[in-house]
Amino acid sequence: MIDERTEESASAYVLGALESDEARRFEQRLEAEAELRQLVAELCRVSELMAGNSPALEPSAALRTRLLMDFGERVPSERALPRRSYSTVLPWALAAGFAGLCLLFGFQSHGLRERLDVRQHRIDELSQIADTLRAERSDLRQTVLSLQQSNRLANVRIAVLSAQLKTDPKAVAVSVWDNEHQSGVVVVHHLKPPPTGKDYQLWIIDPRYPTPVDAGLLKVDSAGDGRVDFKARRPIQSANQFAVTEEVKGGAASPTLKAMVLAGA
Amino acid sequence: MYERAAMEESGPRRPIVGWRTQWPWQSAVSDNNPMGRSDADVIRRIRSGDRAAFLEFYDRYASLLLSVAARVLGDRREAEDVVQDVCTQIWHKSSGYDAELGSLSSWAVTLARNKAIDRVRASTRRRRLLEEVAIAAETPNEAPAPSANELLHGRERAEQIRAALADLSADQRQVIELAYFAGLSQSEIAVRLDQPLGTVKARIRRGMLRLREQLGDAS
Repeated sequence: MIDERTEESASAYVLGALESDEARRFEQRLEAEAELRQLVAELCRVSELMAGNSPALEPSAALRTRLLMDFGERVPSERALPRRSYSTVLPWALAAGFAGLCLLFGFQSHGLRERLDVRQHRIDELSQIADTLRAERSDLRQTVLSLQQSNRLANVRIAVLSAQLKTDPKAVAVSVWDNEHQSGVVVVHHLKPPPTGKDYQLWIIDPRYPTPVDAGLLKVDSAGDGRVDFKARRPIQSANQFAVTEEVKGGAASPTLKAMVLAGA
Repeated sequence: MYERAAMEESGPRRPIVGWRTQWPWQSAVSDNNPMGRSDADVIRRIRSGDRAAFLEFYDRYASLLLSVAARVLGDRREAEDVVQDVCTQIWHKSSGYDAELGSLSSWAVTLARNKAIDRVRASTRRRRLLEEVAIAAETPNEAPAPSANELLHGRERAEQIRAALADLSADQRQVIELAYFAGLSQSEIAVRLDQPLGTVKARIRRGMLRLREQLGDAS
């Protein structure tokens, strides 16, 4: 049975409100009393929920990028990780690209307050987006280049696919294609789900073929987000560009090009 | 144990928040996380150097950590630094986490809160923070913005948590927030509010037990 005084100490303990000596004495009791440990565990969970009542904030893309770049460079030597392989590098390369895109969305999400300023603001915004995108892509290229020099990612191609439809301007995707393994991953964001009876289909443009090569369907959730591992229907020699089109349910043998949703190189 | 690691970096002051020793308790959410792999699996893979697992941890909890740190610091940029510190610590010192000591999220939140409090104590912002806590305690219902809980637990659950906090008396909420978000000890709270120490202790106890009772399923 836990008395009120102990409950007071436990409550203050989980809030960090005990003085040092009080905390030490309380910890000694904790080690010996299972019932008290249970109470503290429950109160800790309460404090966590209370902390979570704070207004939600989304970390900036820059933070994620800093962490990725930081860990990407430091970790192997410090923790003796296995040599980078396609399966380990690909998600990080993808994440770095996606982080840049999140930054892009941050700029895009700033609404324009006054109608008279719309055009000028839009120009500024697009300039920032372009600068950001260029910077991010430059960083990605720099990263890929350095990895290529060490023969780690020589066959990986990363492409940013931008929106092609005015009705869906925020849609964006990143495609990472591994030519050696003839497989890739595409991550899409803010792409409205296709109309009933339609599907999105991914295509790879390889100059070796007269028409784009089918890379399968691209599914997105209700929020417009999706991630698909894909393979090409035909051997790819050089994945120059990627595109996403709206096709009939189940996909088409070749793109109808009636609705080019995303494209990029 | 978790706080010891944090204190090693920030230097000795009054210790922050509990969890300094070893005791077993079960994780409330870690093994049933609806958003993907269990926390236990994530931390196991982080320990093996799996960066994808770390990224999964980051995606799951970075918003919560940032929200808590920003609440304490009142500065988003500095809060992001705290989140970066926490993530770096979790990546490089994940061996410091013991699943028997609590959930991964609780550990991470504790690290974030402690690092943020350390920064507050090292700065001159405490006065501003105390004033904000006092104002917030008097206006508990003015929080229309989505909370970090909403992202983690869904709107309905977040509303339940918010309602439970709003149901506390202003006095109870004030002492709890002064302790948790401003890093004051019971004695310091008593001096600040010009109340007997026993009154402060009783308010903290009643408030926390009431929250535990109202948030029963999640506790």
